[in-house]
Amino acid sequence: MNLLRFIGATIIETLLRVLPFPCKTGLTKIGNPDRNSPVFLTCNYHLTVERVKRVLKGIDAHLVVANSRGINVWCAATGGLLSNHNVISVLKVSGVEELVDHRNVILPQLAATGVEGDVIEKRAGWKVIWGPVYAKDIPAFIRNRLKKTPKMREVEFPLRQRIEMAVAWAFPISIVLALIILPFWREAVFPLIFLVWGLSFLIFLSFPLYSQWLSSEDRRIGFVFFNFGRGGFQLILWGVLVLGLFVYSLVAGNFSWGFVFRWSFITFIAVLLLSIDLMGSTPVYKSGLHEDRLLRVILDEKKCKGAGFCEQVCPRNCYEVDRNRHTATIPRAGRCVQCGACIVQCAFDALYFESPKGEVINPETIRRFKLNLIGKRLVRGERK
Amino acid sequence: MSTYILMKILESAPSRYDKGIRVLTLGRLDKVYDRLASHIKGGQRVLDLGCGTGALTIRAAQKGAKVKGIDINPQMLEIAQKRAAEANLSQNVEFCEMGVAELGGEESESYDIVMSGLCFSELTEDELRYTLREAKRILKPGGLLLIADEVRPKSISKTILNWLLRFPLVTITYLITQTTTKAVRNLPEKVEEAGLAIESMRLSKIGNFIEVAGRRPKGRAK
Repeated sequence: MNLLRFIGATIIETLLRVLPFPCKTGLTKIGNPDRNSPVFLTCNYHLTVERVKRVLKGIDAHLVVANSRGINVWCAATGGLLSNHNVISVLKVSGVEELVDHRNVILPQLAATGVEGDVIEKRAGWKVIWGPVYAKDIPAFIRNRLKKTPKMREVEFPLRQRIEMAVAWAFPISIVLALIILPFWREAVFPLIFLVWGLSFLIFLSFPLYSQWLSSEDRRIGFVFFNFGRGGFQLILWGVLVLGLFVYSLVAGNFSWGFVFRWSFITFIAVLLLSIDLMGSTPVYKSGLHEDRLLRVILDEKKCKGAGFCEQVCPRNCYEVDRNRHTATIPRAGRCVQCGACIVQCAFDALYFESPKGEVINPETIRRFKLNLIGKRLVRGERK
Repeated sequence: MSTYILMKILESAPSRYDKGIRVLTLGRLDKVYDRLASHIKGGQRVLDLGCGTGALTIRAAQKGAKVKGIDINPQMLEIAQKRAAEANLSQNVEFCEMGVAELGGEESESYDIVMSGLCFSELTEDELRYTLREAKRILKPGGLLLIADEVRPKSISKTILNWLLRFPLVTITYLITQTTTKAVRNLPEKVEEAGLAIESMRLSKIGNFIEVAGRRPKGRAK
């Protein structure tokens, strides 16, 4: 029964992935926790909570669910909806303090863009331990005595997530397009839905084949082919589809220009909508539409003490920390997705963002305003 | 990274909050806040929970009270600060980025008035109970708790009516400003549970908006 409910929730919430799904906040017991059992914290996106509960099965623990208004951990933390306040609040009011003797709370690593470990410790008396990115790694993380392997720190875009994203885009877009076309051209509704779903799966499943040509560094934002400054993947895909249309109508023996034109236009719209924020739909690139993709993380070597906060929270494993020489370096800076977690967490303010114009965005600004004031925040940047 | 649509929703919220709430409450909010502020006298110490852009805070300060406004949203607080400065009230108000969960840091029996406009509807159930308990603790004996907020109507017919009336409103408001509220259940009962005596209560016609004044009893006896 539980499994059925879990599958049902997974299907519905994947179809409507772009919408928030809030669930109950507060304290939940997993197994038979005692006063020394670990405390895990997550957001109140329903699917996240269900998945965390599933992987925690067999572990005795306390789970506290913070209010992120039904939005997933990464988006909520980065956008300011899973903040220090939400974390402090649930730790203080959920009653977890009366149930455990320790004051250690394990947070999902992706919350590091919006939740500051030292603030939680200072204002609520709880020590934050950054857990793995994915809930599935929690059992291994516990066996490893709360130490993360580099793999546990990194976001991925595996087949399962790509299928989820394909569904998440195909469903709303196919519904909206079908409703628009319904009054004008009824016969086209089913082929259109089929086309959108097919294209969506094609785009996301074949992602590893073309991802090496994607670039978020292009400074222009073209109107049509946003994400492909160099690749032009959408254009190629569309070209192939139009060619297919010609071939199909010739083979079917009822070739007409009207048919080819109409469907060329429709496939154009479908390809455009599906891939309008292709890079933003993956965890391994910054959104191609967002100005923040142009920011660079700069390391101030004079301030760096090599404490390694950055290494612990970077979801792209950009950092390398030399524990002997007490310094950090960014050898894999090209992989950065500008999430800002390293800047927010560095206790020595040794990291900051720099815009292409040379403006500096200080750690304090990011901690206070997160990434939700993009336009305004860039204005706040200071000249060097 | 996170998708574009979501970020847009998040980034545009604070600056449009006031407008959104005004649409959602059909403009009656100003009158409500004026009525709430009429309980406040000069020289009193007032705490404004979830002060947002400072609508209630500034009204209280205009009455000559010393007001502390707390909110978890730094952008809203910035707007509030600016407004207080424009009204030449900066010396009477203090804004703090802090949530209700941190009320534990406030001294017991230190406020004449604790007030809150449209804040309880943003709290979780746990937070709400905690806040009421703390509000009682930090109020001086005889002090007042003032709340104006959206509540769930009691009867089914009113619930349906409320839903029908609000649905288009909520949709439009959400689309324009990405602001919405979640109505509170059984607010007066919860206020009484926390040990405050309800002194006055005003419910809107459909029963979806409430103004409550609860007093902390004087002396030790209940």
